[in-house]
Amino acid sequence: MTALLETQNLSKAFGEFRALDGVRIAIAPGELVCVIGPNGAGKTTLVNLLTGLMQPTAGDVLFNGKSIAGLGPVRLAEEGLARSFQLIQIFPQLTVQETIATALVSAQKKRWRLFSSVNADREMNLRVREIAEIFRLGHRLDITAHTLAQGEKKLLDVASAFALGPQVILLDEPTSGVSTAEKRAVMDILIAAGRQAGVKGIVLVEHDMDLVATYASRIIALTGGRVLADLPAAEFFNEPNLIAAVVGKRRGH
Amino acid sequence: MSAFANVLLGGIFHAAVLFLVAAGLQLVFGVQKIINLACGSFYALGAYFGVTFIGWATQLGLSPWLIFPGLILAGVVLGVIGPPIERMLRTVYGRDESFQLLLTFALVLMFQDVFRFFWGANPRSLDNAYLIYGAITAADLGVPVYNLLVIAAAIAVAAGLGALLQQTNFGRILRATAENRAMAEALGVDVRRIYMVVFTLGAALGTTAGALVVPTAAASLDMAIEFVVEAFAVVVIGGLGSMRGALVGALIVGLIRACAIVFYPEFEVLAIYCIVIAVLLLRPAGIFGRALA
Amino acid sequence: MKARQAIAAAVIGIVVFALLPLLVPAYYATLMIPFFGYAIALLGFNLLFGYTGLLSFGHAMFLAAGAYGAAVIAGVFGIRSFEAVLLAVVVFAMVLAVPIGFLCVRNIGIFFGMLTLAFGMLFYSFLFKFYHLTGGDSGMRVPRMNLLGLEFAQYNKIELLAGPFYYYCLALLIVAALLMWRIVHSPFGLHLRAIRDNARKAEYVGVHVHRFRLAAFVLSAGFGAVGGAILGFRIGLADPEIVYWTHSGQLVFMTVLGGFSNFFGPIIGAFAFTLLQDQLQSLTQYWRFILGGILAVIVIGFPTGIAGMVDALWRPLWRSKT
Repeated sequence: MTALLETQNLSKAFGEFRALDGVRIAIAPGELVCVIGPNGAGKTTLVNLLTGLMQPTAGDVLFNGKSIAGLGPVRLAEEGLARSFQLIQIFPQLTVQETIATALVSAQKKRWRLFSSVNADREMNLRVREIAEIFRLGHRLDITAHTLAQGEKKLLDVASAFALGPQVILLDEPTSGVSTAEKRAVMDILIAAGRQAGVKGIVLVEHDMDLVATYASRIIALTGGRVLADLPAAEFFNEPNLIAAVVGKRRGH
Repeated sequence: MSAFANVLLGGIFHAAVLFLVAAGLQLVFGVQKIINLACGSFYALGAYFGVTFIGWATQLGLSPWLIFPGLILAGVVLGVIGPPIERMLRTVYGRDESFQLLLTFALVLMFQDVFRFFWGANPRSLDNAYLIYGAITAADLGVPVYNLLVIAAAIAVAAGLGALLQQTNFGRILRATAENRAMAEALGVDVRRIYMVVFTLGAALGTTAGALVVPTAAASLDMAIEFVVEAFAVVVIGGLGSMRGALVGALIVGLIRACAIVFYPEFEVLAIYCIVIAVLLLRPAGIFGRALA
Repeated sequence: MKARQAIAAAVIGIVVFALLPLLVPAYYATLMIPFFGYAIALLGFNLLFGYTGLLSFGHAMFLAAGAYGAAVIAGVFGIRSFEAVLLAVVVFAMVLAVPIGFLCVRNIGIFFGMLTLAFGMLFYSFLFKFYHLTGGDSGMRVPRMNLLGLEFAQYNKIELLAGPFYYYCLALLIVAALLMWRIVHSPFGLHLRAIRDNARKAEYVGVHVHRFRLAAFVLSAGFGAVGGAILGFRIGLADPEIVYWTHSGQLVFMTVLGGFSNFFGPIIGAFAFTLLQDQLQSLTQYWRFILGGILAVIVIGFPTGIAGMVDALWRPLWRSKT
């Protein structure tokens, strides 16, 4: 089975500093991969390279066998790769409905339609509602984005990524800023959304080991720009030394 | 050859005046991040007031030899318009830059009628009063001494500003505020006062430039809106927010104008706009500017 | 803005304007002609400013394209059909806008403003200096043209402007507004607003930011040319002052006066400005000062413009009904 998203000997240096060194990973369809590691390990750099934001110093990133290094966010979205950021990004003056619709318009290639009405597109509006409901925003469709609560903004941000109907979605700490009680709910939403949108692979950068333990099918641990471990979740959690190396302390469970 | 040299010196004179206004623009932009479309209006105000001031002074018995310092005084005194205008601009600091541009544009409109009200619609001049300083002639080269005085003044201002910014505490504070306002505030800088001082300084530079130019050119209504474009050409070419940029940009624009007048009169202004466009496209930061996000 | 409210406002507006020439002296009717021209041009300008977030300080160059285009086609080539002229200047302006826009939209914010200002002044100096081609300072004559094939020879200029041409322009404005309404509420328009709100996020949602900005720029140029042609017809002259940077500034003024976040804002702004300027000019020779003061007050206190003020007053009434 060809990997959905893979890297080949990926390296990235910023001047003298080697952020990533010879990273080789592959994400297969059906996986939910968590990328973990201490701060400065290179997680964000990896995600940036995986989503075509930067050119690698060496090596390549392949999506469905095709090189996507440095392709840029727009082209990548068209290819079927979506991403969300740690810092919430919204369209302040657009409503929830319009935000999700923007992504759908893009995905359905209706972008150059100058004379049809967005409101009159029933089929699309149904889809908007479907997506909004998964993200618990179904009753907030007409609310302007900047007036939403912080948590709702986060969900909206992620919702617009899912609305693209991507094959692979990369989420950079999607539960950051969410209260501990809510984190699982958010994760369940993400998985449901992924299933509904036909997403084949999810990559998460995550710090919360509880969540990682519950949801990840595979774990990639990075330290100092190198892959420390790339294992199915069950195997990973059977290695207390591994956990300690990544998290920095023994877990009591 | 000598004609060319004369024209070149004329270009440097024009550059000196341009530098003074551009320096003011750069200070204000560098520290406050405001683009002041009314800089041309300050310039024209200085010119008009210069005429009036010298007129009064001469009536009161001022020796015609003191025109040069007199004009400088007139220009500097006009710096008093700085604080009230800055107070007005303060209301739109946090907002989108479009609003700042529009507010300064409103000032341009208002100033046009202020000039009309006080000085009428016709150009006002000092009737070549600068000739009192005579001219230096050396082998076909004839340059009015007045022009040299202005060039010297511009150089002095450049040196003074440079010293102020690099070597004084105040200069350090200015540069810090320009670099990072929030940080400066956190360190106890009274940013409001700084903004007021900077804006006033910028205004005074503009008005003084206008006052200094008026012996050689008439003060007119068109001055205010024509000058803006040249001043911006200087700032763009030199790099937004950079003092060295103001100097180099002013020289480039002044000299290009001078050369164009001699060689290709039709292309005089066209050449400048083409260069501005080229700079904005190829190196938006200008020669000395730092690239803005 | 809800469609129902918009339709109500539009219908009222159309009725008022349709009746105007019958109720007021011909002077005011002819005064409305520049209003129609500016209103159409500003609808296009606001697509760029209010909806895409790009502030151009050189937009008047497209009005100049319209006016000079009319002068060339009707005056030099003798084609007197206004429809032909309109078509031609729209195409001309849009073609012109492609390379200029391509260069300009790579930059945003002040740089976009400065680039457009520079291009505008470039055109000014071109029109001014190459007087063999363009008439220089004196400009080029724009002759009377036929409307829908009719010459209206029996009307003198004033009667023509207050009569047939008035309704022609009103019709043009209605068509332009309908067109712009569709554009703004289309998927394309949605993408523009997304770009305005957060260009970076828009990219991540698959929006080609540069292409869309360019498209908005080109479309706005077409509307500007129509406005310029109307202005040229009205004045009978195309002169370089049309493209001076202060005229572009005036366009921004009118848009902000009316309210740039509202679809009808530009139209309201064009109307308010035209009327204000006229009334102030008869009151005092220092009308520029007052206009400048009004702009300052709007920018400081009422950034949503007249439309915003009306909306703020109207909303509690609307709400108390339901």
